[in-house]
Amino acid sequence: MHLVLLAAAVLQTIDSISPHRPPRTVAIDERLAADAHIAVGDRIVLTRAPGGAGDTVIVSGLVARRADPSEVARAEYRVRMHLDELQALTDYGDRVDRFAIATRGGAAATDSAMRQINAAAFGFQAYRSRDIAVETSRTFLVVSRFHRAIGVITIVASAIFLLCIMLLKVDERRRDVAALRLLGISAGSIVRSVMIEAALVAVVGSGVGVAIGWLTSLFINWHYRSVYRTPLAFSVVTPGIVLLAVSLSLALGLVAGFVAAQRLVRMPALRLLTGRTA
Amino acid sequence: MLFRLAWATLSRHRSRTLLAMLGVAVSAAMLLDMVMLSSGMRASFKDLLLSRGFQLRLAPKGTLPFDTDATIGDASDIVRVLRSIDGVTTISPVLGGQLHVVRGDRTVTATALGVIPAAQGDYEITQGRTPAAPNELVASDDFLAASGAKLGDTLVAAAGYDPQLRSFTGRRTLTLVGRAHFLYMSAEQKSVALPLETLQAMQGAASRDRVSLFMVRAAPSANVDSVLKRIETAVPRVTAISTETAMRQVDERLSYFRQLALILGAVSLAVGFLLVTTLVTVSVNERLGEIIVMRAIGVAKQRVVLQIVLEGIAIMIVGAVAGLGLGLVTARYLNSILASFPGLPAAIDFFLFEPRDAWTALGLLTGAGILAGIYPSWRGASLPIAITLREEAVG
Repeated sequence: MHLVLLAAAVLQTIDSISPHRPPRTVAIDERLAADAHIAVGDRIVLTRAPGGAGDTVIVSGLVARRADPSEVARAEYRVRMHLDELQALTDYGDRVDRFAIATRGGAAATDSAMRQINAAAFGFQAYRSRDIAVETSRTFLVVSRFHRAIGVITIVASAIFLLCIMLLKVDERRRDVAALRLLGISAGSIVRSVMIEAALVAVVGSGVGVAIGWLTSLFINWHYRSVYRTPLAFSVVTPGIVLLAVSLSLALGLVAGFVAAQRLVRMPALRLLTGRTA
Repeated sequence: MLFRLAWATLSRHRSRTLLAMLGVAVSAAMLLDMVMLSSGMRASFKDLLLSRGFQLRLAPKGTLPFDTDATIGDASDIVRVLRSIDGVTTISPVLGGQLHVVRGDRTVTATALGVIPAAQGDYEITQGRTPAAPNELVASDDFLAASGAKLGDTLVAAAGYDPQLRSFTGRRTLTLVGRAHFLYMSAEQKSVALPLETLQAMQGAASRDRVSLFMVRAAPSANVDSVLKRIETAVPRVTAISTETAMRQVDERLSYFRQLALILGAVSLAVGFLLVTTLVTVSVNERLGEIIVMRAIGVAKQRVVLQIVLEGIAIMIVGAVAGLGLGLVTARYLNSILASFPGLPAAIDFFLFEPRDAWTALGLLTGAGILAGIYPSWRGASLPIAITLREEAVG
C-alpha cells in the first residue's frame, strides 16, 4: 500500500514539473557577434523589450551580411530565429509579415501564380521580387544620377584641362614648327604630326589614369567595405568604363591637338620665330 | 608696376589665359559645390531639428525616431514623469501611422501623425487653423492635391485595413480644418495630422496609450545634456536623443557624401593647382630671356618671383570668382537630384550656401595659385645670369 502511495506521489511530482525544452537555436549577424563578443555555441537571452523576460537560446551560426545596396546604410543588427519562436516572443500569434514564394516554369508560371494569389480571398497582394527590388533601389537610382552629374562636370573640367595642356605643349614648340614651315614641310603634315603627338599623350595619360583609377577603386572598396561592414563593391572599373575613358581622352586629345596645331600653322612662320602668339 | 607687368604677360597670351581661367572656373565650381556638400546637409539638418525648438527626442529603447515600427507604451505615465523633471518645459508625444481616406470610389493613403495640436512640433499651418476638436485634422498640399479635398470638407478615414475581411478598420468621420507644411516629411509625401487620442482610438487596442516618440523642449536656461541624463534615469524604457546625437547619427549615415565631397574637393583643387602650375612653368620657360634680363639690370629675385606669382594668383582669382557663380548653378542642379532621395525630409538641403563656403573655396584656390607660382618662378629667377643670357642669345 505504501509502495503504491509512494509511486503515486512520484508520478504526481513528475507531472507537475514543466516539460523540459532544450534551448532553441538562432543565427546572428556577424557584426553583432564581433561587437558583443558572441561566439557560436554561446547562450544568449532574447527579450521583447529591454529588461523584460525572455528566451534563452543558443547561437548556432553567424550570418554574413549580403551584398545588398539597400542595406548599406542600415546599421541595425539582425537575428535569424525560428518563425514560431519569434511569433511567441513578440505575441504575434499565427501571423507573418510576408511569404516568399518560388515558382517553377518561368515567367508564365509566376504570372499565373500571382493571378491566383491575388484572386484568392485571403487579402494578399503578390508582388514580383523584381518590382520590389526596383522600389527598394530608388535610393541608388538617385545616387547613380548624382554620380552621373558629377561625372559630366569632371569630363568638362578634364576636357578644358586637356585642351589647355595641348595648347601650351604645341605653343612651346612654335620655333620647331616655324623651322619646319621654313624648310617647306606642309601645314597638313605639321597638323598631323601634332595630332599624333596629342593622341600619344592622351593614350599614355589615359593609361596612367586607368591605373590610378583602378588603385583608387581598390582603396574605395576597402575603405567603404570597412566603414559600412558590407561585402558590397562600391567602385568597379569595368572594360566599358576603361574604353569610355580612353576613347573620350583620345577624342579630346585629337580635338585639342588639331585646334592648337591649326593656330600655329595659320600664323606666319617668321612671326612664330619671334615668339609672338595670341 | 608689378600688377601691370603681370597683366601684360597674361594678356599677351589671351587664348591660353582664358582657357586656364575657364579650367580654374570649373575646378572652383566643383570645389565650392563640394565645400557646400560637406557642410550643407549637416547645417540644414540641424536647422530642421531645431526649427521648432525641441532639443530632445525620445524613441523606443535602442531605436531612432520613426526608424522602426516600435512604439512606447504607457505614454501618459511617461508624460507625467517627464513633467516632473527639472528643465523640461514642453512635451510633444507623437504617434505615427497611416490614414486611408475614402474619396468616392478610390482611397488616398497618407502618413498620419497623432499629436497634441497645442504642443506639436511637426508642422506649420499655412492656411486655416490647427485641430481644436477630436474629429478635426490638417493635411499637406500633396494630400489635398491627391484627394481633391478642400478646407471644411468632411472626410471618411480609416486607420487600418483588414486583409481577411477586405475592409477598413478604425473608421472615423473627420473634418479638414487646415493646410499644413510638414517639416519632417519627404517631398510629395501625403501627410495628415490629427489629435493623438483620435489616432490612438482609430488604431485600436494595439495603440492604446502608445506613441512613436516624444519631442521634448528644454528651458533656455537648462543644460540640455543634464536634462537628457535626468530623462534617461527617470524613463529607462526610452532612448533620449539630443540634437548632437542625432547629428552624429546623420553624420554616420551620410558619411559617404562628406567623404565624396572631401575627395572631389581635393581633386578639384589639385586640378586647378596643376593647371596653373603648368601654365606658369611654360610661361617662365618662354620668358627666361626676359627674366634674366630683369635680373641682369638689377631687379631683385623676390620681385621677379612676386610678379610671376601674381600671374598665377590673377588666374586663380578671376577663375574662382567666375567659378563661384557656376558652382551655385551646378549646386542647385545637384541638390535637385539628391532632394529626390526616398524618405528624406523635403526641407533638407545637401548643398546649402553660406558665405563662409565661398570664402573657403576662394581662399583655397588663392593659396593654390600662390603655391603653383612659387616653384617655377623661383627656379627661373635663380638661374645663373651670365650663362642663361648667353644661352638665350645663342638660342
